[in-house]
Amino acid sequence: MAVFSLSASVGEALVLGLATGPVCLATCGPVVVPWMMVQPRGVRGHSRQLGLFLAARLAGYMVFATAVWLVGSSIQRAWVGQAGAGRAGIGQSWLMGGIEVLLAAALVVYAVGWPHRRCAAANPAYAQASARHEARDRPAYAQASARLGTTDKLLRIGEARSLRSGALALGFLTGINLCPPFLVAGVRAAELEHLSAALVFFVCFFVGTAVWFLPFLSMGFVQRTPAVVTVARMVAVLLACWYGFSGVYLLIERTFYG
Amino acid sequence: MASSSSTLSRPAALRRPKAFRGPTAFRSVGRSILLTLPIALWSLLMFTPAFQRAGRDEHIGAGVVIVFMTALFFLMMRTGETYRWRRIFFVALGFLFPVGFIAALVAQRGTMSIPISRMVSGDTPFCFMVTPSIILPAAFAKTIVFPGSILPTASNPHSIAIMIGIWFAMTLVLGKAWCSYACFFGGIEEGFAALAKRRRLHRFVTRYSHILRLIPWAILVFVVLVSAAIFEPVYCMWLCPFKAVTEFPAVRNVETAIQMGIFVALFVGLVVVLPYLTKKRTQCGFFCPFGAFQSIFNKINLFEIRFDREKCVDCTLCQTSCPTVALSKESIAEGKTLLNCMKCGACVDACKKDAAVWHLKGTPVAVKPERARLLFLYGAWALATMFGGSILANSVATMMHWLPLK
Repeated sequence: MAVFSLSASVGEALVLGLATGPVCLATCGPVVVPWMMVQPRGVRGHSRQLGLFLAARLAGYMVFATAVWLVGSSIQRAWVGQAGAGRAGIGQSWLMGGIEVLLAAALVVYAVGWPHRRCAAANPAYAQASARHEARDRPAYAQASARLGTTDKLLRIGEARSLRSGALALGFLTGINLCPPFLVAGVRAAELEHLSAALVFFVCFFVGTAVWFLPFLSMGFVQRTPAVVTVARMVAVLLACWYGFSGVYLLIERTFYG
Repeated sequence: MASSSSTLSRPAALRRPKAFRGPTAFRSVGRSILLTLPIALWSLLMFTPAFQRAGRDEHIGAGVVIVFMTALFFLMMRTGETYRWRRIFFVALGFLFPVGFIAALVAQRGTMSIPISRMVSGDTPFCFMVTPSIILPAAFAKTIVFPGSILPTASNPHSIAIMIGIWFAMTLVLGKAWCSYACFFGGIEEGFAALAKRRRLHRFVTRYSHILRLIPWAILVFVVLVSAAIFEPVYCMWLCPFKAVTEFPAVRNVETAIQMGIFVALFVGLVVVLPYLTKKRTQCGFFCPFGAFQSIFNKINLFEIRFDREKCVDCTLCQTSCPTVALSKESIAEGKTLLNCMKCGACVDACKKDAAVWHLKGTPVAVKPERARLLFLYGAWALATMFGGSILANSVATMMHWLPLK
């Protein structure tokens, strides 16, 4: 009976993930697209970045699954009502506002890479290491970067050093972001008997949704010119403004109107 | 003759001394009339129904537009110049469109704001600017994220299907030239740009043009992604400067007040102040995501502007005159414009050496460029007469209705 129950919930989670995957794609797309576009061309590098992003997203799912299972029916009652009221209902939470503000900060830090530029300017050894790294891994970009003058800092590429931590941070933050399919899965996981069952449920849900992320690998084929990278960085800034505004608005709304 | 007919001030860069005018610059009156005849007949054909069924005001509106469009085309043929005559039409379209549109809104609703009830019932007129935003949600969720109706209804004739059909048909003919012959918003800023005597921010625009011209692409990607994520037309809800002079969500709370503030700030900044200071179409060149989307269609359009490198002396007059910074030194060196060229003809008219030429793809560059110009202009002007002309006629009729002449 227990085996049947487990396989049933596995199947349910998979189907739920597959069915709601397009919504996940649309929700995470604004973060994934500019992030992938600032990476060098090549499917291999994109696979690595997407793998890291999804792994961090899975970690976010696990944290969320543990939280909903521990809080259990109380969170279930609260969220079922809010999810029924749509995005506005879901948005009236500190969590949502806080995550959006963090996401905005992460987009600026990792996709635009301003702190690293300051770091490189302050530390010649770091700048030399960066130049060696660029010359080895991205000769075309290093050449393009060298051609550009001092007024073209925005066009410089390969300066966002912490690629790995960027993918992990953005993946984790989108992993705990409360999108509608995620809430449905959370409500279902909270009903399960054991924590392990809730975790398995979320892993299967994750696998179902992750299939929809595979098309992002095609962005590895897109030609990387300085213009493409600049546009991607501008998009990241615009999205950071959007998430920042949305997050602050939600926090203010929550603070003043309850 | 040409300069005396213009109602707008002309930048120094666009003034061509007579000594430099090529042999095709001025045609004889007879030949010009002959070349204008197809457009005159087309205009009559387009507006004959207005004479058959409407009232006196509509008759006057249609008559004015027939004369106006035909006269401008005649002047294009007579002088060999495109930009200045097109600009008169385009500025008239830009300033008169809100007149007719707002009058219709006030007549229907009593206000420029869109009540929630009208949105729910799908009565919001569809604007072509939304087109890029609706693609992803339509593809993934079979949902159109716009509060309009797909097919025309009695209360909303400007339905999604009709407007997209018109836009697509015109885009196949015009490519990015939509932005200089059909868009009913661009004329407002072109008018403010024409008012200024000199370019005040020229150095800034020149220095950062390589970044400024990428901003519309970034906004396009942003708008498409976020519209798909939150299922709302983000550009319409938050970023459209022209909401300030057309219609906008009714201000009911802090959110809609912020939206209204953004619309007004963008309109004043990008459509009034910056065009006046730079003599550029700053909203079109540095902001409009639809313009970036439209640029893609330049790839499949038959007409383009090219540069005859043998005649070009790299004076950069063309680059200075371009209203949307669609030229760079590199592109001129390659004999091409950038992807965001909207074929307004400013660079061709500005060039003193006749190095900038109209070109039909697949033919040799600078061989019979006037023929390419004519072919393009017939298509562009015919569509401008049909689409923009009907808007102008409606606005003129509306103004006639207000005037106490009866």
